[in-house]
Amino acid sequence: MSRSMTFANRYQEHLCASLLSLLLLTGCGPATVVVEGRFPPPLIEPLPLTLGVWYGPDFAQHEFFDESKTRGQSSWVVKTGQAQIIMWNTLLAGVFEEVVHLKSAPIPGQNVPGVDGILVPHVSQLQYTIPKHTQVKVYEIWMRYRFELLTPDAQPVAEWDMSSYGKTPTAFLQSDQEAVNLAAVMALRDAGANFATTFTRIAPIQAWLQAQNVHAPGSSP
Amino acid sequence: MKYALLTILTLTTACLLSGCVTSTVDEMIYNEPVEGIGESSVVILGRRHSSNYETEPDFVLCVGEHITSYDNSITVIGELEFINALYPWFEPRTAPLHPEGLEQLVLQEPVARKIADLKLEYIIWLDGSTERSGGSGSMACSLGGCFGFGTWAHDANYEATIWDFSDRAAVGHISTSASGQSYMPAVIVPIPIIAPVQGTACDGVGDQLLEFLSSEY
Repeated sequence: MSRSMTFANRYQEHLCASLLSLLLLTGCGPATVVVEGRFPPPLIEPLPLTLGVWYGPDFAQHEFFDESKTRGQSSWVVKTGQAQIIMWNTLLAGVFEEVVHLKSAPIPGQNVPGVDGILVPHVSQLQYTIPKHTQVKVYEIWMRYRFELLTPDAQPVAEWDMSSYGKTPTAFLQSDQEAVNLAAVMALRDAGANFATTFTRIAPIQAWLQAQNVHAPGSSP
Repeated sequence: MKYALLTILTLTTACLLSGCVTSTVDEMIYNEPVEGIGESSVVILGRRHSSNYETEPDFVLCVGEHITSYDNSITVIGELEFINALYPWFEPRTAPLHPEGLEQLVLQEPVARKIADLKLEYIIWLDGSTERSGGSGSMACSLGGCFGFGTWAHDANYEATIWDFSDRAAVGHISTSASGQSYMPAVIVPIPIIAPVQGTACDGVGDQLLEFLSSEY
């Protein structure tokens, strides 16, 4: 009787210790946000071009990790890769008449048949703020992109940077993670809006469009 | 004397139970439709380009619902539905800041077609926010319950600007401000007495917009 009691007590102690450790470990882990959202197609006249797109692993699996600097703050992991792919696929399908997704990275000198150009997007920077950091009641996300536009045989046509910004106010019963997700979705929408409205105004791209016999709003007649 | 005391007591109780709110509404309308907006539709959008505040989507929704609840013949297009349908032209980065900007927008054929499909006649921009402006008091909670008293204030300031889509012109401005004090006494159980500041501002703007848009008001 006493042996079984001892065993039961020990079992309970182990169980409690395990649960407590699990609870503590969970509490200490970084706050993770896998960005999820729905993105509308753009309402614009598509450019009569076939664009090849290559999403490198750095882009397709993009995530941002911010380690906490103080004990009171938690570390953050913001995974945007999946949402980036969804947003850019939807956007580019509306900006260009046809989009071809490349299976491998473009190699200089190797021609990709059936495309007028190849776009390679990169996320070069991501920053975020939450009210705990700034005392301002908004969650914010900044993203900086770098785009490469290449010829079908992967020779550079243009390379440019583009920024995007998204914010969302604090809301009742909204967790930090939900608010950061919403701010990231806003930043992605902003990136799409920025790209769709400025792409044809970039000088080397205007020259490229002229070479393709494409006249677009904002490009030279 | 007894009647006056009873009235004061009733008003004080009512005020305490709902929190006290004071509000003012100013309007300046230039070109009101004579017989309402008829078959046309209207969209109410929140301004989101300021860095330190955002017009709350809940407030935009509240104003739209206020209008349709009093006159269901008015078609109010949902904010998200509209900005999704016209993406990317009404994002914070790209949304026109002046009615003249609409001219540029309709030069885009798909945009002009979509707006014609929606029968859009008026765009109403709401700009502002509700802020908590201060608090005092203290409360202590233990297993036996909570004891103490807390109070805080909210200030709401909003401006509505009405754009006539056909004329590409601003045809009215409505501004409202509301402020109120909320209380939370706690004797074992905390009892929040929240002042409906944002709701009062919503009703103020909604009533004025209803007068503008509806033939029945």
